[in-house]
Amino acid sequence: MRVNPNMVPDILADMQQSQSAVNIALQEVATGKKVTVPSDNPAAAADMVQNTLETANVDQYTQNVSTMLSMVQTADSSLGSVVTSLTQAISLGTEGANGTNNTSNLQAIASQVQGILQSVVAQANTSYQGTYLFGGTETSSAPYTASSSSSSGYTYNGNSDVNSVAVGDDMNVQLNLPGSQIFSNSNADVLGSLSSLVTALQSGNATAIGTATTAVSAALSNVSQQRVFYGNAESQLNSQETALQQETVSLTSQQSSLVDVDEAQAATDLSQAETANNAAEAAAAKVLPQTLLNYLVPTQ
Amino acid sequence: MPDITAMGGLNTSLFIGVQALEVSQGALNATSNNIANSNTAGYVREIPEISENPETVSSGVVSGGGVSLNGLQSVRDELLNLQIQQQTSAQSSADTESSALEDIQTNFSSSGSDIASAFSAFSSSLAQLSADPSSTSAQAGVLSAGQNLAGAFHTTANALTTQQSAMNTQVTQTVAQINSLSTQIAQLNGQVAQLTAAGKDGGTIEDQRDELVQQLSQLTGVSVTQSNDGEVITTGNGTPLVMGSQSYSLQTTTGSDGVQHVLDSNGTDITTTLQGGQLGGAIQIRDQVIPSYLTQLNTLASQFASAFNAAQAKGYDSNGKAGQNFFSVPASGAGAAAGISVSITDPSQIAISSDGTSGSNGNVANLSAALTNALPSGQTPSQAYANLVFQVGNDTSNASAQSTAIGQNLTQLTNQQGSVSGVSIDEETTNLIRYQTAYEAAARIVSTIQQLGTVTLDMGSGQSY
Repeated sequence: MRVNPNMVPDILADMQQSQSAVNIALQEVATGKKVTVPSDNPAAAADMVQNTLETANVDQYTQNVSTMLSMVQTADSSLGSVVTSLTQAISLGTEGANGTNNTSNLQAIASQVQGILQSVVAQANTSYQGTYLFGGTETSSAPYTASSSSSSGYTYNGNSDVNSVAVGDDMNVQLNLPGSQIFSNSNADVLGSLSSLVTALQSGNATAIGTATTAVSAALSNVSQQRVFYGNAESQLNSQETALQQETVSLTSQQSSLVDVDEAQAATDLSQAETANNAAEAAAAKVLPQTLLNYLVPTQ
Repeated sequence: MPDITAMGGLNTSLFIGVQALEVSQGALNATSNNIANSNTAGYVREIPEISENPETVSSGVVSGGGVSLNGLQSVRDELLNLQIQQQTSAQSSADTESSALEDIQTNFSSSGSDIASAFSAFSSSLAQLSADPSSTSAQAGVLSAGQNLAGAFHTTANALTTQQSAMNTQVTQTVAQINSLSTQIAQLNGQVAQLTAAGKDGGTIEDQRDELVQQLSQLTGVSVTQSNDGEVITTGNGTPLVMGSQSYSLQTTTGSDGVQHVLDSNGTDITTTLQGGQLGGAIQIRDQVIPSYLTQLNTLASQFASAFNAAQAKGYDSNGKAGQNFFSVPASGAGAAAGISVSITDPSQIAISSDGTSGSNGNVANLSAALTNALPSGQTPSQAYANLVFQVGNDTSNASAQSTAIGQNLTQLTNQQGSVSGVSIDEETTNLIRYQTAYEAAARIVSTIQQLGTVTLDMGSGQSY
């Protein structure tokens, strides 16, 4: 059978193919990616859309968790100081109610309790990087300010709303409790009870001092109860931080299995493609110039 | 008279020798023509048709009739030509689609400025706002990420429409090329028909015509049949391009949809029936592929904008006002991707608060949910976009795989055609030696007969040489 005498198109096609294999292998080694355009692997490219979104979100959630942890820890330590202060106020109240104190002693105790009241107010006005922690969603102004019209001497400027922060897809962690629930709760009013204790101590009425001290105790137990929220939030955030770290790892590994190239494999592919290309070129160089004319001796 | 018979014999031999010289010369001519055209596109090798002349019997004496050259015959296989034309159309169509899609898909690869990256940046800017709702930099971050997202939609939509208009231009240009080829083919067709009618081989004119038909099949899918007047060439659906020596031009006109439509010579719109070749590929990309992508992109842009605006409306901005539209899209929905824009101008207009206080972040969760909740299409924005990416990638890889597969098929057919019609230098060199030897031998016959004639004439003169 006659064979196609024109080998040029075949040889060219083969060389183009091997050249293109070299180009692809080179690009994979150079970029470290096996999917640079969607057609390289449409399914992987589609999955990467979700992966890109998730990765960016998880990065931001991780930052959010760390910001929130600082805020929650600041709030928790403020409430810790409040607990210490209230415990101290209760022992001062108990001391004032035992009937052995003269007026000047009671006045001294009263001014100590007054000092405690001021330090508690300062804690209630704690801010983290300019954000007030106990004002509900009124975060830009101090929640408690002195007011002569209020029985406790302080008025609450915040609201009863709370903020929740995104720390995961469909996961929002509540960041704060409004001050009205902790410091000026109508059933266990920290500021009100301390203020009454000061008044009772100043008046020297043992019964009133006793009643006020009991009220401070009730306020203390309320603060301790509310403080549990911050402890919970802290542990929730810590466990979410771990979860986010794991998610980052799994997203990164998904990304590498989807689009990243196996370096060893890519290097091997490249060297194979080069060998094949050299062989194709060498073969073309050997075969193309050969015709019968090479072997015919020209006649004189 | 026997001596007269002998002289007649010498003359006959001389005559045969001259014929042999002529035939060998003709064969050498064919060989040299083959070698000369060994690299000519579309050239089909020619072989000399040599036949022996009938022997003559006169007065009981038999003498050979010699040889004659009837002509040159092109060695071609019409069936292979047809298959090659079909495959060429298919490959050229796949190549056109593949190269357009290669261009398109770069807009869908993760470049950092693509829609997927813009969605991610927008989503994480909202998460950041959630942690720090009163920070002006976090608010400005959301606004600029929103603007980038709108920008990414514009870039992608514009790239699609640019490609679409490039395809549109290609339609006009290709139709002009088709018309020019049809005219040339019709002309050659007439000449071939005349040769055939005279019982001759079409030869080089047929080669030229086949080469032009081959070029035509790259431009559009054609169907070729033979008739008494020569070849009849129609488009795939039967619109005539060439009938005998008559050509029919296609026309283009701007349709009501703003793109170029192709009309046959009677003015009938045949755009949708054209398949194969550059024209078929360009029409496929322009009228099917890109509109389908654009529709999906527009749906995504318009549904996402509505969902996000609805989330804005649920909250209050930093000035305590009810949230106004964040994005604006053209009302019609078509052109949403190209026309989406951010309608708020100040970061304080982002509806962060759920209660009207500036420190609340209650509505950020609603804004974020617009990115993760299903749109009316049933998919979340990122799913809808991921689907589009998959489709673009899949279409591109299919078009290029198809082109490769057809290319292999075509290589095989071309090899087959080459094995029938291609000029082999080795073969021609061998023929050259063969015809050279035959020519030399024929020349020897002539010179021998000449010597014999001289000897015979001098027989009685007594002179010797």
